[in-house]
Amino acid sequence: MVSLMGHSYMGDTGTFAHTTTGQVKEHSFYPYTDNGGSTLGITGSDFAILAGDTRSVSGFNINTRFAPKVFKIGGDDETGEGAHILLSVVGFAADGNALKERLDAVVKMYKYQHGKRMSVRACAQRLSTILYQKRFFPYYVHAILAGLDEEGKGVLYSYDPVGSYEREQCRAAGSAASLIMPFLDNQVNFKNQYIPGSGEGHALEQKKAEPLPRETVEQIVRDAFTSAVERHIEVGDGLQMAIITERGIEEVFTPLKKD
Amino acid sequence: MKAVENGGTAIGIRCKDGVVLAVEKIITSKLLKPGANKKIATVDRHVGIVSAGLVPDGRHFVSRARDEASSWRGIYKGPIPISALANRLGSYVQAFTLYSSVRPFGVTAIVGGWDLEDELAVDGQVGSGPKMGSGGKVEGAKSGGPGLYMIEPSGLYWGYYGAATGKGRQAAKAELEKLDLSSGNLSIFDGVKEAARIIYIAHEDSKDKDFELEMSWISSLDGPTKGKHEEVPRELLKEAEDAARRELEGEEEEEGPREDVNESEQMEE
Amino acid sequence: MNHLPEIWGRPRNDIYGSYNPSYLKTSGPITHTSSPTVTGTSVVAVKFNGGVAIAADKLASYGSLARFTDVKRLRVFANSSVVGFGGDVSDMQYIDRLLESIDIREHYSTHGNMLNAKNLLTYLSKVFYKRRSQFNPLWNHVLVAGFDGNGAPFLSSADLLGNTFSAPHMATGFGAHLAVPILRRLFPEERPIEDITKDNAVAALQECMKVLFYRDARSLDEYSIAVITKDGVEVKEDEKVQAQSWAFAEAIRGYGAQTA
Repeated sequence: MVSLMGHSYMGDTGTFAHTTTGQVKEHSFYPYTDNGGSTLGITGSDFAILAGDTRSVSGFNINTRFAPKVFKIGGDDETGEGAHILLSVVGFAADGNALKERLDAVVKMYKYQHGKRMSVRACAQRLSTILYQKRFFPYYVHAILAGLDEEGKGVLYSYDPVGSYEREQCRAAGSAASLIMPFLDNQVNFKNQYIPGSGEGHALEQKKAEPLPRETVEQIVRDAFTSAVERHIEVGDGLQMAIITERGIEEVFTPLKKD
Repeated sequence: MKAVENGGTAIGIRCKDGVVLAVEKIITSKLLKPGANKKIATVDRHVGIVSAGLVPDGRHFVSRARDEASSWRGIYKGPIPISALANRLGSYVQAFTLYSSVRPFGVTAIVGGWDLEDELAVDGQVGSGPKMGSGGKVEGAKSGGPGLYMIEPSGLYWGYYGAATGKGRQAAKAELEKLDLSSGNLSIFDGVKEAARIIYIAHEDSKDKDFELEMSWISSLDGPTKGKHEEVPRELLKEAEDAARRELEGEEEEEGPREDVNESEQMEE
Repeated sequence: MNHLPEIWGRPRNDIYGSYNPSYLKTSGPITHTSSPTVTGTSVVAVKFNGGVAIAADKLASYGSLARFTDVKRLRVFANSSVVGFGGDVSDMQYIDRLLESIDIREHYSTHGNMLNAKNLLTYLSKVFYKRRSQFNPLWNHVLVAGFDGNGAPFLSSADLLGNTFSAPHMATGFGAHLAVPILRRLFPEERPIEDITKDNAVAALQECMKVLFYRDARSLDEYSIAVITKDGVEVKEDEKVQAQSWAFAEAIRGYGAQTA
């Protein structure tokens, strides 16, 4: 609107109507930015891990080396103590923060109104609804929700920015997702791993994916991030790992390369 | 209308370098927390209100005053002059006498404040402006000063040197008149002492009830509150209260027998 | 006289023809800020042992024009926090008035203003986020300095999109490029802030303001600096970049009249 009016006025009357450069001035306000970083979640038989690096960037600038992306949802206080759901958000940090606060409020209200904890399944569906409600002005984030299901098994739901979601064994999101995801396919879901001597060609039998022990998973997460840091400039500084088990949530911070 | 005459005595004293507000807060129950349930309200940085009468009406009155003060800031980007605030509140209260659907306010309120005397910065101002020449400043120009107004349920308001309302207002007025406030000699510190004393005197008639003294003040920029409406500091309040109590006790000792006469006279009436 | 007030004082229809009411329209498309007009440049701040120091120069630019040279971009809140504003000056004034009104409202209660710098940042970021979500942004990038709820020094930033982040030292605008590397060298992140004295912090900011004046064309050698400690906020509005040396300019080749 502004640009149209500006043009017609300038074109009709202005001596300075013609700009010398071919560059078009940006008139509209762009409400998003990409704050970089990556997140990753893997589930096991009795736990789920959500991890993310702690770097925040704007373009080539590092805003800070410590901006956690994994949040406890529905805790009893501001530290998140007593929470039973984890949420990671990566993309546009302001939207991520708004989304986290919305979901946290929803899970808390559920508890106050129903007198019981919200199941991860219900929370997952609710998160999808929240995202889809902003279908035409989306939360520019890739969210991953983690917790334990009704049987005590690790669960993980991954989302696109407008609320499409799916339960998965593992998922990487964010700027280094394309680097980490294939690694996870191979190391967690055993893609392209075959049982030796099980056959020739198409008869070769695929190695079956099964839940991994916690130590293995933690090592995979560490390896995934140290590798991503090598090849992606927006990933680094620190690794935040949150592990949810029936005993609660453990949170570990370890350094990553700061270059 | 009678409501205004009951409840704790409230007074305001316009001193040369500030305004003191004081109120006698009758303790209606032992279950009330001492020092809580304040009766003097802050309206803007530089204005305080104390009222006697129906407490909820007083609360609404204060709420309106706050709205007026903040809407003034919204338009003029600066604090509302006390006179303008009193004027607006007077109009507001008066409007409640006009319609059959509403009843008049059951409060008489005392509005006290300090109009800043130095050159006022506009709210949100970023620079200091030209130092000389066109748009420059007039050196040493002073304005502002203390403001004290009392607004009645009819909407009537006057500016006062000393204002009193509530149950003990007659005694309080008599004491205020003795202070020669119009000559502008009383300092705000003396004002605090006098205010405490007057509230204690005004309480004499309802001696059987316990009370708490609540006091606030607004001083000039170079005074103790720097143009802001604040509670009188605890130590100073205690000092003033002790002095007031001592004076009353002294009087009683001196005029002990006469007081009995007074009482019997009243009984006869 | 006609009983329609909108006709009063207007040309009579029987003589001049009927008035085109579209001229009276007060409505129209809602317009929003799509770029800032009068702007301030960098704000720089460092945490130290027992507080935070923050600085911003006194220039407000109108594009490349140095329009106002005595602009106070550090705003004190409740004598316990300081907000340093980069970006649009009129939006800064709007926010300043907003904070003023909050401070007045806080003083309605007898406790006085108990909002700390952390509360302030949360509030400001929500204001920014709301306005960006309405496509009507407040065009600022601010640093908030003070203390958090536990009494620890607090320094964090909020921008026009509602993004927030926190670090031991930070800078907005050009300062993010020029000042942050200086601060990171002076105060490496592994060095605890307990090792940084107030004088260290102030000296570092003075150095940053000098470098910014050398290289940021929209900066000024006059600046404000504020030190926030438990005792309150100490603001100096008339600081000047000391010991300038333009000797390095000789070495710069390829610009201006000189060709070789």
